[in-house]
Amino acid sequence: MRTRFLIVDDSELVRKSLRTVLQANPDWEICGEAADGEAALKLFSELHPNVVILDFQMPGINGIETARRMSAVAPAVPIVLFTQHASPDLERHAREAGIRSVVSKTNAFPMVGMIEALLGPAGSEPAAEGSADCGKGQTG
Amino acid sequence: MREQEKVNILMVDDQPGKLLTYEAILNELDENLIKARSGKEALDHLLRTDIAVVLMDVSMPELDGFQLADMIRQHPRFQKIAIIFISAVHLTDLDRLNAYQRGAVDYISVPVVPELLRAKVRVFADLHRKTQQLETLNRDLRSLSARLLAMQDEERRRIARDLHDSIGPLIAALSMNNGMLAQQTKKLGPEVADVLQQNNQLVEQLSKDIRTISHLLHPPLLDEIGLLPAIKMFAEGFAERSSVKVDVELSPEIGRLPPNVEISVFRIVQECLTNVYRHSGSKTASIKIAPSQEKLLTVQVRDEGKGMPRTNGVPASAASNHGVGLSGMRERLRELGGTLEIKSSENGTTVIAAVPVAKPMVKNV
Repeated sequence: MRTRFLIVDDSELVRKSLRTVLQANPDWEICGEAADGEAALKLFSELHPNVVILDFQMPGINGIETARRMSAVAPAVPIVLFTQHASPDLERHAREAGIRSVVSKTNAFPMVGMIEALLGPAGSEPAAEGSADCGKGQTG
Repeated sequence: MREQEKVNILMVDDQPGKLLTYEAILNELDENLIKARSGKEALDHLLRTDIAVVLMDVSMPELDGFQLADMIRQHPRFQKIAIIFISAVHLTDLDRLNAYQRGAVDYISVPVVPELLRAKVRVFADLHRKTQQLETLNRDLRSLSARLLAMQDEERRRIARDLHDSIGPLIAALSMNNGMLAQQTKKLGPEVADVLQQNNQLVEQLSKDIRTISHLLHPPLLDEIGLLPAIKMFAEGFAERSSVKVDVELSPEIGRLPPNVEISVFRIVQECLTNVYRHSGSKTASIKIAPSQEKLLTVQVRDEGKGMPRTNGVPASAASNHGVGLSGMRERLRELGGTLEIKSSENGTTVIAAVPVAKPMVKNV
C-alpha cells in the first residue's frame, strides 16, 4: 500500500516542489493539497492521509494550530512542519502541538530521509488508520 | 474678527461699582470679561469655563479672596490660572507674602492705575493663550508620532510578509530542487556536482540574508506564538550577527499579551540591543522581562559599555544626536501608559521600561 501525503502550503510553488520531491518515491503519493489550515483540516478528515506536510505561516490559522487540531483527532498520523522559520523555540511549540519533526524550507534536503525515518523501517505498514482510496483532493 | 482666540477673564468683587470700573479698564483688551459678585459665584464660573486670569478683591464677605485662591489652587485643573489680587486694605508685606504663597501672580493696591492693570492682565492673557496653543500642538504632535509608529510597524509587517510570501517560496522550491539533484550526484560529473554544491550554499546564504531582513522588519513568531519566543529568537540572531553575548531571562508566566503591547515591547528590546551594538562598545547585554507587580511588566536591558554621552552631567538621552531611538521608546510607552527609566554611567547603561498590562500575570500551573 502506498503512503498517502496531504500537503499544506499557501504557495503553489512550494506545493509543486513538494510534489516533485515526494513523488520521486514510487511508494508515495499526494492524496490532497490545501492552501490554508481550515481547508487542510477538512481534507484531513475526509482523506485520512498517512503523513501531513504542513506550512507554518499561512492565512487564517497557522500550521501549529492546524497540527494541534489534527493530532487531537488522529494522534498517530505523523505531521511534518515545513517552515522558513525553523528555530528551537518554534520546534518546542511544534512538538507540543503533536508535530513529529520540523524541516527548514531553506534546507529541505533532509526532508525525504526524515519522512522515511518517521514511517519506520521499509516495508512496515504506515502508522495511520483509514485505508479508503483517496482521490486527488484539491482545495484553496 | 481677530485671528487669536479670546480668553476668559474673571473679575470677582462684592461691590458692583468696582466690577464696572474693572470692566471699563479691561474692555480695551477685547477679551471675554466675566463678573462674579462673590467667591461662590466665582467658583461656579471656574468650574464651567476655562479661565485665564482671575482678578479678585481680597476682602469679601463669606469667602474672602485668600480662601478662594486656596480653593482654586487645590484643584489640579486650575493650577495654571493667573490670580491677581486687588486690595484697599491688607497692604503689609506679610499680606503680600500671603497672597504670593497662595499662588498669586500679583498684588495690586487701590487706587488702581488703569494702564498698569490693563498691561498686567494683557501679559497673563497672552501667556494663557500661548500655553493653550502649545498644549494643542503638543497633543497633535503626540498623536502624530503615535500614528507614525503604528504605521511604521504596519509597514514593516507588510514588507516582511511580502518577502515571506514572494521570495520565501522561491527559495524553498530552489532548495528542494537542489536536494533532488543532489540525490543524483552519481550521474553527474564531478564538476557539475561541485557547481551544484556551490548552488546549494548560495541558496542557503540567500535564504539566511532574506530571513534576517524579514525578521528585523517584523518577527514572524511574534504574531504566531508570542513575545517571549520572538525575543529569544531575535536575541539569538543578534548575538550571532554582532558578537555581543546576550543573556536572556524571561518569566514564562507573562504568556500572551495584547498585540500592541507585544510589538511595542519587542521594538523596545530591539532598539536597546541596537544601541548596545552601535554606541555602547559592550561585549555583553542582558534582557530581563518579568512582572514587577500584578499588572506591571518590567523590561530591562543592561550592558557593560561606556555609558551614554552626557551633557552638563545629564545623560543626553533625549538629545537629537542619539537618533529617534529613545524618544521613540518613550512615545511607545506613553501610548501604553508606561514609563522609561535610563541609568547610565561609565560602567554601562540600564534601560528599564515599565509597561502596564490589563490582565494579572499569574504563575503557570
